[in-house]
Amino acid sequence: MRKIVLFSILIVILAAFFASSSPDGLEKVAEKLGFIGKGAESRSILTDYSLPFLKSGPVNTAAAGVVGVGLILATFLGIKSMCRGAGRSGR
Amino acid sequence: MHIPDGFIDPKFSGGLAGVAALALGYCFARVRQMATAVVPQEALAAIGKGVHSLKTGSSRMLTAFGESLILKMGMVASLIFAAQMFNFPIAEGTSGHFLGGVLAAVLLGPFAGSLALAAVVIIQSLFFADGGFLALGANLVNMALIGTFLSYYIYALLKQKLPEELSIGLAAWLSVVLAASACALEIGLSGTFDLLATFLAMFKVHAVIGLAEVLITLGLIKVAGGYFEKNSSI
Repeated sequence: MRKIVLFSILIVILAAFFASSSPDGLEKVAEKLGFIGKGAESRSILTDYSLPFLKSGPVNTAAAGVVGVGLILATFLGIKSMCRGAGRSGR
Repeated sequence: MHIPDGFIDPKFSGGLAGVAALALGYCFARVRQMATAVVPQEALAAIGKGVHSLKTGSSRMLTAFGESLILKMGMVASLIFAAQMFNFPIAEGTSGHFLGGVLAAVLLGPFAGSLALAAVVIIQSLFFADGGFLALGANLVNMALIGTFLSYYIYALLKQKLPEELSIGLAAWLSVVLAASACALEIGLSGTFDLLATFLAMFKVHAVIGLAEVLITLGLIKVAGGYFEKNSSI
């Protein structure tokens, strides 16, 4: 478990520093065809993969990515305990 | 691939969210069934558990297999989340990123795999605003159902005739192209832009992104699949 989690975090850090910032396939298509303007700006706590109140940059992106990995792991650990207490379902 | 708000009619996407909820609920039921075993109440009482329950009958308990399956889902999902952050350039001013549907499908099977992808897509939408919240239904259908669930059966079908790695590769390419086509269809049906033009443009870009998907999928299956084989109970 620990190895895969560390491997994910390694990818997050590499991505934060080296990922391309060009628009992705869908965004590029929307730009080219001219409907990108119809897209609405969405906001959330970690919009654009950066932590709020801090200067954006690769270090911030890496930190936000690590938070994301943590959120995912927490989700499944939660599901695990839900299933564990699954009792009384009979048949 | 993550559709932002505004590209899709929210009513349409809401309908798709219903479809996704039904399908993923079914996946959850199947995973729960796989991960738990029915234990008679007397057996639980014997080990001091479940004695609070006056009802006689049986309870579902997480098995050791179930526990490692759910942990494996978490690991595959975090790997996919991380890999999706790594946008790679594919042409002038265009990037693509990993989808991971076939990776999840091969490592976890169709039910657990779809749930892993769904968790990634939901967390990206809720916390990172990557993929609009009102477009979540469409994104779940494209990535968790078409990119993972359907792609699992494409992979399984191909595997009957072709060697393992070739089947994985073809399914991975198809998963990206099919998910992108579905995305174009949803945008077209929402009246955002001409359906055919959107489809052709999406197909062209994602036919290339799909090639990277093949390489990353095969690479990660080597790494993660090898790890899971060595550590069957995590």
